[in-house]
Amino acid sequence: MLNSASVRLAKPILLRLTFGVLSLFFISLVTFFAAALTPGDAATAIAGDKATPETVARIRHEMGLDRPWPIRYVKFVVDAGHGDFGKSYFGTREDVGSVVRRTLPLTVKTATLAIIIASFVGILLGTLAAVYQHRVADRSVLVFSTLGVTIPNFVLAPLLVYVFSMRLGWLPLIWTTDMTASEFYYLVLPVLLLASRPMALITRLTRAMMIDTFQQEFIRTATAKGVPRGRLIFRHALRNAILPVITTIGTSFGFLLTGSFVIERYFVMPGLGSTTIEAIQKGDMPVIQAGILITGAMFIMLNLLVDILLPILDPRIRESQI
Amino acid sequence: MKPVSKRRKGPRDPLLWFGAVFMVFLVFLAMFGPTVREKQLSSISKHQPYTSVYDDIADPFQSRSATFPFGTDSQGRDNLARIAAGARISLTVGLIVEIIALVVGVTVGVLGVFAPRWIASAVMRLTDAMFAFPDILLAILIIGIIQTSKAQIPGGKLAPVIAALGVTSWPSIARLVRAQVATLKDREFVVAAKATGASTFYNVTRHILPQLAGILLAIAMIDIAGTILAESTLSFLGIGVQAPEPSWGSMINNARENMNSYPAQLIAPCLFLSLTCFALNFVGDGLRSYFDPKSTSR
Repeated sequence: MLNSASVRLAKPILLRLTFGVLSLFFISLVTFFAAALTPGDAATAIAGDKATPETVARIRHEMGLDRPWPIRYVKFVVDAGHGDFGKSYFGTREDVGSVVRRTLPLTVKTATLAIIIASFVGILLGTLAAVYQHRVADRSVLVFSTLGVTIPNFVLAPLLVYVFSMRLGWLPLIWTTDMTASEFYYLVLPVLLLASRPMALITRLTRAMMIDTFQQEFIRTATAKGVPRGRLIFRHALRNAILPVITTIGTSFGFLLTGSFVIERYFVMPGLGSTTIEAIQKGDMPVIQAGILITGAMFIMLNLLVDILLPILDPRIRESQI
Repeated sequence: MKPVSKRRKGPRDPLLWFGAVFMVFLVFLAMFGPTVREKQLSSISKHQPYTSVYDDIADPFQSRSATFPFGTDSQGRDNLARIAAGARISLTVGLIVEIIALVVGVTVGVLGVFAPRWIASAVMRLTDAMFAFPDILLAILIIGIIQTSKAQIPGGKLAPVIAALGVTSWPSIARLVRAQVATLKDREFVVAAKATGASTFYNVTRHILPQLAGILLAIAMIDIAGTILAESTLSFLGIGVQAPEPSWGSMINNARENMNSYPAQLIAPCLFLSLTCFALNFVGDGLRSYFDPKSTSR
């Protein structure tokens, strides 16, 4: 049944969906042409170094690689949708789909843990700073969050590794396949490092939004009515201040997936990020395509999810968009 | 009564001045550092002629000393000379990419307002699509294309990095310019100029864009910090500036490999990269609140 409320909800969501599909189209087109622009394709990889041009041409024809590019693009998208990215050009010519299935879970796990920690700590610190505005707690939170936004991951990483792994010996130096301790110990530093930047962003935004909310009249009314302080902060103010923070959490999560390129490389973790970077150094185009396409698609979908979630959560946004 | 000074006061923000002084120092270091080190060290070098950036000068992993303020690296090269050359690379990449970003961004932003409707909306949709996408991912893909095709791009060793970062750099500026131009074009002084017969081109170049110069300068500083960081990230990952060129990112990566025995190697490149990013952000933020007092830091 279509009542007016659901129509009002549907319109912005449809708009966002269209934009999300356009973005996916853009990224798939770019990755498709990445392969088209580079010499060497699946046919030359199968034929090997000693093959004659005729053999390569025959294989290329059998695989449909000599057809016009719109047809190949559609095939590329359909195959990718089924998790088929072709075979790696090098080594044992592993199926790229199984490379993804092997490496993606670790990347997603690290990023998920990082965003959960960043959200909890960030919202808590931001609220704390807003409540104690201009005092020592606020100042120190601000300084730390500024540092967290500006210091790059790969500068912070050696610092933490030096303190916690080399001096104190609490945590392992890098990821190893034969783990002596539980996986938790190996994940602590990568997750903390990945979390640092979104945590700083979320802290700053929560602080700004909370300070803004505290000045509004309904808070004064609630204070006058004698609402307890804790309830006032968390039930009244935070619920109103949190929506832009949710948007930031969404975009940060996407950036975390890409930030994992650096962290995975630093700790030698077998995730999708480090696999993609290795593929670039080898020139292994199918793996590069899969890495970029999957990370990019996840980023777009997450932002889409947040965009769709917001008008559902907040009636004010719904009203303003019509 | 004291006479009111007609001159606008300069910015007072101490962080801005700290940032500016550091950047001037860095520019001088980048311009003269490697040459000065060559003059200082060539008498004790076994390489003649001696190039301070590429040639070894002493045993590897020397710690700090009067001769080598930052020690020597894993191949016995002078770390100070390589830090200076790294500054040269970072600043060059940052500057060229920012020029690309400004030229393309301003053009696209103005087109987004004044071009025929279908061009304007096509251009702005492309901008949105690129803006909504993580820059570093696109840059990595472009580097991937260049490396896989082993294409010889003219312009030397920095060209792939500059190309990758240049392509991804302009959308934020284009969006800013479009939004600003869209409001400025209806302001009285622009409408008045139009009424006296000024062409759109004249109006944009003489009346609208000069209004934006200050804020664009501020944004450019912050963007250059981002570009330098991105270049270091790519070099750290091993797909940016290639050895033996000394990028701060690849120096951090080299130092990381020997971290167990020589952790002090990490200090100089990490410090310089962080300080440069701080300094540029301070300058950018300071300039922005000077030129546009209404805005607060983002």
